Amino acid sequence: MTKVVIIDSASRIVTSVTHHTGAEHRRLANRVVEEALNKSGLSIGDIVYIIATGYGRINVPFADKQITELTCHARGVAYFFPDVRTAIDIGGQDAKGLKIKDGRLIDFVMSDKCAAGTGRFLEVIAHALGLKLEELGPISLKSTQKVSISSTCTVFAQQEVTNSLSMGVPLEDVVAGLHDAIASRVARMVRRLKVEPDVVFTGGVAKNTGVVKALEQNLGCPVLVPPEPLLSGAIGAALIARETVEKARAEGKPLPKQVRKLEEATFFK
Amino acid sequence: MVVAVKKGLDRVRELYQDRPQRAKELKAEGKKIIGYLCIYPVTEMMTALDLVPYRILGDMREPITKADHYLPTVVCPFLRSCLDLGLKGKYDFFDGVVTSHICDVGSSLSGIWNYSVKTPYHYHIDTPHTVHETSLEQLRSLLRAFQKSLEEFAGKKMGVGDLKKAIVLHNEQRALVRELYEFKKPDPPLISGAETLKVIKAIQSIPIAEGNALLREVIAELKTRTNKPAGKAARLMVWGSILDDTVLIEMVESLDANVVMDDTCVGSRPYFEDVPFTADPIDGLAHHYLVDIKCPRTFRTRDFFAARKNYMEDLKSRFSYLADYAREWKVNGVIVESVRYCDTHGYEVPGVRDYLKEVGLPSIYLEHDYTEGALAPLKTRVQGFLEIIG
Repeated sequence: MTKVVIIDSASRIVTSVTHHTGAEHRRLANRVVEEALNKSGLSIGDIVYIIATGYGRINVPFADKQITELTCHARGVAYFFPDVRTAIDIGGQDAKGLKIKDGRLIDFVMSDKCAAGTGRFLEVIAHALGLKLEELGPISLKSTQKVSISSTCTVFAQQEVTNSLSMGVPLEDVVAGLHDAIASRVARMVRRLKVEPDVVFTGGVAKNTGVVKALEQNLGCPVLVPPEPLLSGAIGAALIARETVEKARAEGKPLPKQVRKLEEATFFK
Repeated sequence: MVVAVKKGLDRVRELYQDRPQRAKELKAEGKKIIGYLCIYPVTEMMTALDLVPYRILGDMREPITKADHYLPTVVCPFLRSCLDLGLKGKYDFFDGVVTSHICDVGSSLSGIWNYSVKTPYHYHIDTPHTVHETSLEQLRSLLRAFQKSLEEFAGKKMGVGDLKKAIVLHNEQRALVRELYEFKKPDPPLISGAETLKVIKAIQSIPIAEGNALLREVIAELKTRTNKPAGKAARLMVWGSILDDTVLIEMVESLDANVVMDDTCVGSRPYFEDVPFTADPIDGLAHHYLVDIKCPRTFRTRDFFAARKNYMEDLKSRFSYLADYAREWKVNGVIVESVRYCDTHGYEVPGVRDYLKEVGLPSIYLEHDYTEGALAPLKTRVQGFLEIIG
């Protein structure tokens, strides 16, 4: 997903847009920004500073600076939850654990090279079950006896799901098992950081109430979810952009800006 | 004899691209080339008999196709790559291969190489893994046996004088490498981390005397260098398992960081301690290869029960040299890296990181799978780390 957040000088969110990135849109970050500008009645010239983040951060030719999603997520999460010490982000690409102190990132862990324990895992299996992604959470809450599903491989887990269903296991118990598989895998990874409350959960998967519950069970503590869990990285980027501008102004230094071209990334051609 | 026209860093780049070039020329002149795996086979003995030591390295740009018949895919991809190159005939110019007990996979590889690659001469030094006196005594006797075997292969005797002369020559190389690393102390450094790796890889591909001449050329060039690396916010040290390709270092140096120090084996590790001079040179060699080289393949805790009582004292006795490096090279962050499935380095990682934390050095752990691809997630990690320490 590609997200755009525009904030004003008081850190209030002016507008936000979320779109599927897709193969084609990887070079079309400009279109999403144009939409956000139209929605808010602003022009590109009104935007003082742009920070790009996430896996696609290098695909944004009009950004003034690139900062990793690790730093941006930490800042975005602390915006909603100032007392956050541990943040867990599960998106479509990977899962991350962030250790945060006084609103700043101090340590992190990331999953790598595997879809198990990410949002993609749920997307693949929801598709196999013929369910919509947003249906998974409510269904799993009905479960009385979740099945155990191995959390090591998306493809094998899919086979296990098919097998459980053919054995007559109720759907809600299978879905609850899936949520537990993803939560236990991520919890195992995040424990390396020594989990401390408050624990905040972000990313697209945080919209799934079933995974939130499974994560609480696995970590043994409450897990907080911001109102727009998909946007924390983009909000963090916007907040860091504002800080960069304020810092430069306070020091009387010129902004470390780049020539801004609101157009497609050209290196794909 | 073919005269190399390129000098200094140009010659380094040439050898980095085409490692066996010089060894093949020397072979054509009748010299015998001995491939050695990891840094534990005692190369001084090869030099003493006028044999040419040539380090066996892998090639992460070459897909592993043949080695999978011999080694499972869940072991060190560097060693799998080395064997693969051997099986594909890339090391056919070797007259001999010497291995040592570096890790269990390395030892298995030695046997597999012996019966499947069939280099004419093959020897395995079963180097012990602890630093106690009994281990030293064992290594001394193993080295005497190795000497005898090598003499038979070379068809001549190795006099004590020959061995001492070789040790002097190898120590000269160690001193030159340390001099090279002095050029990494200024900010910005006069030589990048990626270039340093290329220099070390080059000198591990040619005879020691030629390597010493090359190092002198490089050092002279650095003294007047104008196109030095750019100044960066972070000065990093890399600790870990073998990096025989520059991709990872180049990725780090493409960010706001210079790699100014390392403790890796195509890096400072084999060169930062001299072989001590002893009446019987075997004593000094055994001490150097068992006690002085600080690779996790050797269990360097002397008193196991005392270590259990005081963890941090044990770490200090094993890793204080890293704090010294950090101070001298003004390092402000450490990349602790290991190639996937390297248990040897993997087991050492928590201790190294605990020690670094104790002395106030931030670190990040990267596990990589010995490929030139898949660097994007690692890049995000390194960049995130730089944002934390910046």
